[in-house]
Amino acid sequence: MSALLEARLTVGYGHIVVGRDIDLRVAAGEICAIIGPNGAGKTTLLNTIAGLLPPIEGSVTIGSERIPGGAARRASRAGLALVPDHRALFTRLTTLENLRAADRTGGHAIEEMFELFPPLETKAKLAAGRLSGGEQQMLALARAFVQRPRVLLIDEMSMGLAPIVVQSLAGSISKYAAATGAAVVLVEQHVPLALASSDHALVLVHGDVVLQGPSDEVSAHPELGSMYLGGGPARPFRTGGRGDLDR
Amino acid sequence: MTFAVSEHVNFLLLGLGNGAVYGALAVAIVVVYRSSGVLNFATGAMALQGAQTYVFLRQGALLLVLPILPRTVELGRPWGFWPALVLTMLIEAAFGLGLFFAVFRPLRRRTAMARAVASIGIMLVLSGLVEQRAVDGPAIAGPIFPRGRIEVGSIFITTDRIYLAVTVLLLALVLMAVDRFTTFGLRTRAASETEVGALVSGLSPDRISAANWALSGAIVGLAGVLISPLTPLGATTYTLFVVPALAAAVIGRFDGVVSAALAGLAIGMLQSEIVYLQSRYDWMPTSGAGDLVPLALVLVFLVARSPKIPERGAIRSRFGELVRAPRFVGLTTAVAVPTGVVAIFALQGSYRAALFTTLIMSMFGLSYVVVTGYLGQVSLAQLSIGGVAGFLLATLTTDWGIPFPVAPIVAAVCAAMVGVVIGLPALRVRGMLVAVVTLIFAVGVEAVWFRNPQFAGGADGNSVESPTLFWVDLGIGSGADFPRPAFGLLCLAVLVATALAVARLRTSRLGYNLLAVRSDERSAAASGVDVVRTKLTGFAIGAFIAGLAGALLAYKNTRVSFESYNVVSGLFVFAIAYVSGVASIAGGVITGLLAVGGLVFVALDRSVDLGVWYGVITGVALVVAVVFWDQGVAGFLRRAAGLIGRKAGASFARAPASIILGDTGSEELAVTAVEKSVPAEPLLEVTHLSVHYSGVAAVTDVSLGVRRGSIVGLIGPNGAGKTTLLDALCGLVAACGRLEFDGSTLTGLPHVRARRGIARTFQGLELFEQLTVVENIEIGANVNREAGGRVAADALIRELGLDARRDTVVGELSQGQRQLVSIARSLAGRPRLLLLDEPASGLDTSESAWLGAHLEKIRQRGVSMLLVEHDVALVAAVCDIIYVLDFGRVIAVGSPAEIGASPEVAAAYLGTLGEVSDP
Repeated sequence: MSALLEARLTVGYGHIVVGRDIDLRVAAGEICAIIGPNGAGKTTLLNTIAGLLPPIEGSVTIGSERIPGGAARRASRAGLALVPDHRALFTRLTTLENLRAADRTGGHAIEEMFELFPPLETKAKLAAGRLSGGEQQMLALARAFVQRPRVLLIDEMSMGLAPIVVQSLAGSISKYAAATGAAVVLVEQHVPLALASSDHALVLVHGDVVLQGPSDEVSAHPELGSMYLGGGPARPFRTGGRGDLDR
Repeated sequence: MTFAVSEHVNFLLLGLGNGAVYGALAVAIVVVYRSSGVLNFATGAMALQGAQTYVFLRQGALLLVLPILPRTVELGRPWGFWPALVLTMLIEAAFGLGLFFAVFRPLRRRTAMARAVASIGIMLVLSGLVEQRAVDGPAIAGPIFPRGRIEVGSIFITTDRIYLAVTVLLLALVLMAVDRFTTFGLRTRAASETEVGALVSGLSPDRISAANWALSGAIVGLAGVLISPLTPLGATTYTLFVVPALAAAVIGRFDGVVSAALAGLAIGMLQSEIVYLQSRYDWMPTSGAGDLVPLALVLVFLVARSPKIPERGAIRSRFGELVRAPRFVGLTTAVAVPTGVVAIFALQGSYRAALFTTLIMSMFGLSYVVVTGYLGQVSLAQLSIGGVAGFLLATLTTDWGIPFPVAPIVAAVCAAMVGVVIGLPALRVRGMLVAVVTLIFAVGVEAVWFRNPQFAGGADGNSVESPTLFWVDLGIGSGADFPRPAFGLLCLAVLVATALAVARLRTSRLGYNLLAVRSDERSAAASGVDVVRTKLTGFAIGAFIAGLAGALLAYKNTRVSFESYNVVSGLFVFAIAYVSGVASIAGGVITGLLAVGGLVFVALDRSVDLGVWYGVITGVALVVAVVFWDQGVAGFLRRAAGLIGRKAGASFARAPASIILGDTGSEELAVTAVEKSVPAEPLLEVTHLSVHYSGVAAVTDVSLGVRRGSIVGLIGPNGAGKTTLLDALCGLVAACGRLEFDGSTLTGLPHVRARRGIARTFQGLELFEQLTVVENIEIGANVNREAGGRVAADALIRELGLDARRDTVVGELSQGQRQLVSIARSLAGRPRLLLLDEPASGLDTSESAWLGAHLEKIRQRGVSMLLVEHDVALVAAVCDIIYVLDFGRVIAVGSPAEIGASPEVAAAYLGTLGEVSDP
């Protein structure tokens, strides 16, 4: 199956490289998880794919259209929607207004969003800043869904949320991808959740891709824990007089 | 007595006319600020353009302001009111749109200050162009609203003012309705809150801003048309309407159009009332008090409400000029002084006078170097402050007989006090609001003092006694004697002394503090810098220098009058200073050369009649400087002369983020504890700490302790509250609960806690980007005022392997190096407790291990640490005890082994859906 989203990138800020030689391919209806310890470059990668940040090197292609670096509007018009890690909701606007801001012709109706996330309908007239953490995450997702994206990027959805809420949200995302054929990229801290709800995964550690492949294989990989936590005996050391490093 | 009340009411109602215009302009300012974060100082000048365009249309001609085009285009017959109004509004809307695309969209990633400065440039350009073009036009327009008269008892009002006020209120209400109920309004509100949110919602912040600029232009056009019958069409008058409009916008918090409109009306009414009071009460100044109204209202509002005016603009913004430490000071002085002396004697006549002016204006330039270059504040009042000194000097010398040099020094000291007074609002507001306050002050001072016949001698001015020192006449002389070299030598001496002092300031502790505050206030505070005192001192020094300059100017002119120190000239001085470069002494001198009356100006004026074009060119230069080249003329010359050596730092462009590790094996660590560690005694005790903000409970009921000589780890998923906890310990956020440090309660501002021995690194590494590695670390040493500051910094740099980079500007370092600099800066203050916020972020595995070794060494020297980290391996390796935070609460405490085996921790971190393969 050809990829709906294709991204081959080196990302970072200015001269600080945060993610090196990343090669990501997601087909329609597929969900790809990106996991790894913090500071690994995952958010930077998503922001670069979404066009909020220009890449240091490389390009992003959606469908057959190549999106110029740093062109968030172009990416959006090509059907990409990002749910950022800090959600970036319009806290001073109501729930309904947040959805209306993202509403567009050819997108989903707002009523459909309320069916998908019933709590939002109850709080439709409430300012978004007053919603609970879980409701805010629902709103952020709904705001992305309303645009009927072909490519959906979700950054750290589970952050600060109770596990049961997270599980239900993950279910909604899987259903959405299956129903609409959207390509989904999930950046997650919550490793088992990420691997359980995705088709393939990529492990990013300190800016390098250390593991990539189908999720069940990644999940079963013996070195995953040590790679992820950055510990374990297999670390390469630099030579040179540096004093006592072993503890 | 009812008679008196009705008089008050009449005057209040009379003020509705002007008030309506202020309100309309304030609405336009708010509309633009909300959507694009630009404080548009040019609003008044745009109203001028609108008014003139309308007036010419009513006479059948289309006014064109661009220099290359013909002045007017004849349209056949005079136009009626409605067509003329509509076309004016369209033209202004197009102009607003043009401004956005040409100037403000390119500036989107820059600071709010840069955008405000650009708008000042546009103000100067537009004002000059329109004045130049409309010079033969009618002085005042015909009435728009019917001028009837309504009487109720002894209260009367002309109907045109009522119509005016009602029109503006209606306008504000319509805009509010658009804002609430239309899609356009929704999108504007959305984009004004978060640009990222707008982008991820598929909106185009650019388009929204463009539309709002066009809308604002149309409103300004309307305002210009409405005011044209009320006020003669003077360029300066209209341009300065922006001042009360800005005041009204401040009161409306730059967010509510209706409140801005009402505030504008109130200002107009109060000004009118003050005019009445002036005539009734002797103790009031006979003129100009009305112009104090905006200032008084703004100050009261800022003090009472401390507004959270939304700061729009990119977070990662290019900063502006680098303020490098001056080099070759001795050599430059040795060359400059004889050159100056020779020039004084060699030049004759008007060129010599121009040289004197250059020397004096260079002093103003230096005052900008301190206030804007070092401290990073925009002050539009430096010339006015000089005027304060000048007028005081006249009184001191002529009326009180105080001789030189006491009189000018006293005058300058008074000016310094004025500087502090202006600085006080600067403590409460950020960035360009300070510029607004200084501008309002300048207008007020000119109106109520300099122009007031009661205090000042009008256009002829007050005379100033010639300066003499030990019977040597240092005055500028008159007639055939003018200009005497003695005065030039005086100016040169003062300038050189000031320049040396400003150069010395740069490398002094105060200088570092100024730069730190300019760079990042929060970080400066946590490094032990008293931000309030530093800001006020910076303003005071800048004002003192401006005061000396103002005094010299008074001596030069032998009289003081408002013409020497007026507000628009002050704007020019700022513009020239900015263009010349505010980061160096050279920039100050170039300011002198380029200023009105300076050498370059006079030379040009000889060949070309500059006149109004000076203002236009200055304005264009300012805009160009902000958009393309913010290093100033001085920076340009320096680069051309090859003196900007960016060293090897530039080659880091593509290098991987890695540290250059030095050989640190056996060296003594530069960090020493204040006392030898007493094992197992608590150093920091936190009991039931909670932090709430914006209705969110970030930290709930956390209790933890750090014993002397221990390293305590704090881990937890993102959003668990770890950084907030550190903020609370530092004093950066309010918290409830008990905090005890070394036996006594821990309270106070961040810099106070820093001086008690608590140091902190920041997650975002809020280093002082503009300063070098050495300078950053030395600011850390500020905290502990021992003389060993510099030695400690050098040793730390060697210890951490940063020696090769010590003079590199921090903004050019790799991530790992920045982490080290951040830690070094915290250590330079010899803290007893070090709070580390993700020090390993951005480091790879081996670097992280190396860091761990260093932390261990630091601990052995007696510094206790609280380490927030995601790198679990590092935490497990160095910490004695680990606290785990989740959802703002402590969910587990224990040794690394216990935590590693704890199922709750695993669940919190890695979720409940199963296990991760274990290492």
